Amino acid sequence: MKLTRIAAVAASIGLTLGIAGCAPSAVPSREPIVIGSQAYYSNEIVAEAYALVLEDAGFAVERKFSLGQRDVYVPALVAGEIDLFPEYTGNLLQFFVPTATETAAEDVYAALATSLPEGLTALAMSPASDQDSYNVTQDFASANGVESIADLASLTDITLGGAPELAERPYGPAGLLAMYGVTVSFEATGDTTVESLVAGIVDMANVYSADPRIQQLGLVTLSDPLGLFLASNVVPIASEAVNADARALIDAVSAAMSAEDLVALNVRSVDEKLSAAVIAREWLVSEGLLD
Amino acid sequence: MLDFGGLGAWLSNPENWAGRYGLWNLVAEHLCLTFLAIVIAAIVAVPIGVAIGHFGRGEFLVVGLGSFSRAIPTMGLLFALVLVMGIQFRELSVVLALSAIAFPPLLAGAYSGVTTIPAWIRDSATAQGMTTGQLVRHVELPLASASIIGGFRIAYIQVVSTVVLAPLVGLGGVGFGIIQGLALRNFPQVTASSLVIIVITVTGDRVIGLFQRLAGARLSPPTPLEKS
Repeated sequence: MKLTRIAAVAASIGLTLGIAGCAPSAVPSREPIVIGSQAYYSNEIVAEAYALVLEDAGFAVERKFSLGQRDVYVPALVAGEIDLFPEYTGNLLQFFVPTATETAAEDVYAALATSLPEGLTALAMSPASDQDSYNVTQDFASANGVESIADLASLTDITLGGAPELAERPYGPAGLLAMYGVTVSFEATGDTTVESLVAGIVDMANVYSADPRIQQLGLVTLSDPLGLFLASNVVPIASEAVNADARALIDAVSAAMSAEDLVALNVRSVDEKLSAAVIAREWLVSEGLLD
Repeated sequence: MLDFGGLGAWLSNPENWAGRYGLWNLVAEHLCLTFLAIVIAAIVAVPIGVAIGHFGRGEFLVVGLGSFSRAIPTMGLLFALVLVMGIQFRELSVVLALSAIAFPPLLAGAYSGVTTIPAWIRDSATAQGMTTGQLVRHVELPLASASIIGGFRIAYIQVVSTVVLAPLVGLGGVGFGIIQGLALRNFPQVTASSLVIIVITVTGDRVIGLFQRLAGARLSPPTPLEKS
């Protein structure tokens, strides 16, 4: 009885210490550039590309990939525990300024630059973007003659599928009604949004524009002439620990990455199941940024 | 950290209770999925459990399935079933995944309820000329009922807390408020939804517990005056 109690106490102390040990240490020895990424395969490929060019130029790099979503890593970025992070202009702007009204790529970038917390800089944005978009199936598009979100105004009974949070987003059902006069009923399809669209459970779905499945399944991305969606270009967010030489290297990566490149990289990840490191390295070599 | 003001404001806003993804609807959907899953599991598990207890054969199934069920990654099973059966049948997939969780406790409850009935009670029933069917219906099932209901109780708690994952595959349930709230950083909504899940879990557990006690008090097997 007594022995088991001692064992239990010892075990719980051990566990507590173990958990404490997992927390990031506060020791400010920060020589390597710490690069983070979201828990999103596409984001990890971009982060890996940054890491590879920096290592190639002789910088020490520490990878902290798959850090979940913004709520998790932005505080770490602000606190200086991460030095470099591939981000998306529109989504990050909306994170800091939920009421942001800018939608064009340049405007969003300019607004983001002024709303970042002290110590963080948005490096030059890339032409590659990965943003929210509304998609329908080829059958739906030809049956109803829709190419643009505006064409939906004459239709009734449209169901929109997307992640649960889409219900409350500015570009969700309320935005569709206010900007385009389109009435939709919302269906939270969660992680099965694309499957639900293909199966006909929803008529229109919110899919990221760089999602390979848009090409693979022949989905039709509706154009957005009035700018309902914020442009969301890939943009590296850097702390002051990233010096001018390093910034120049990252800028070259951003400039070389086109929107088509990003989709192609995602396709390789989804279809060929290659690791982010392999995909990023081969792309950098093909762009002449790495030997 | 807990924001009680925001929580109260969220809960007292009628907008959050009405509509397709309002709390009333989500709670109803949550309980409906839970109920269906347990009923489907019970239709299979209880007769098997009673039979194993009655005939004293196949006990390894009870132990084996009990341990096996703890090793099932629920979320993986959920997605696997949805992918295999197709998104059109997502309701059925989710219910079946949940049934898999409800199955072992129901089986164990039915089995242990029957197997712990003292041999002399069964012997006296047989001595009075009861057939196997009568023995099961009139003696074993009533005496095992408290234990069977106990199985339902555990199954309910496990299923009702796992339905929270249903929004991941496009269904509702109170988990919707948590998953949506986290993405929107609407923490009063996350807290309120968690609170609602706790309330329906504890309330359901208490209600089933009440039936369990009633069954146990009325029908517990009498002890023999003297053992020979």
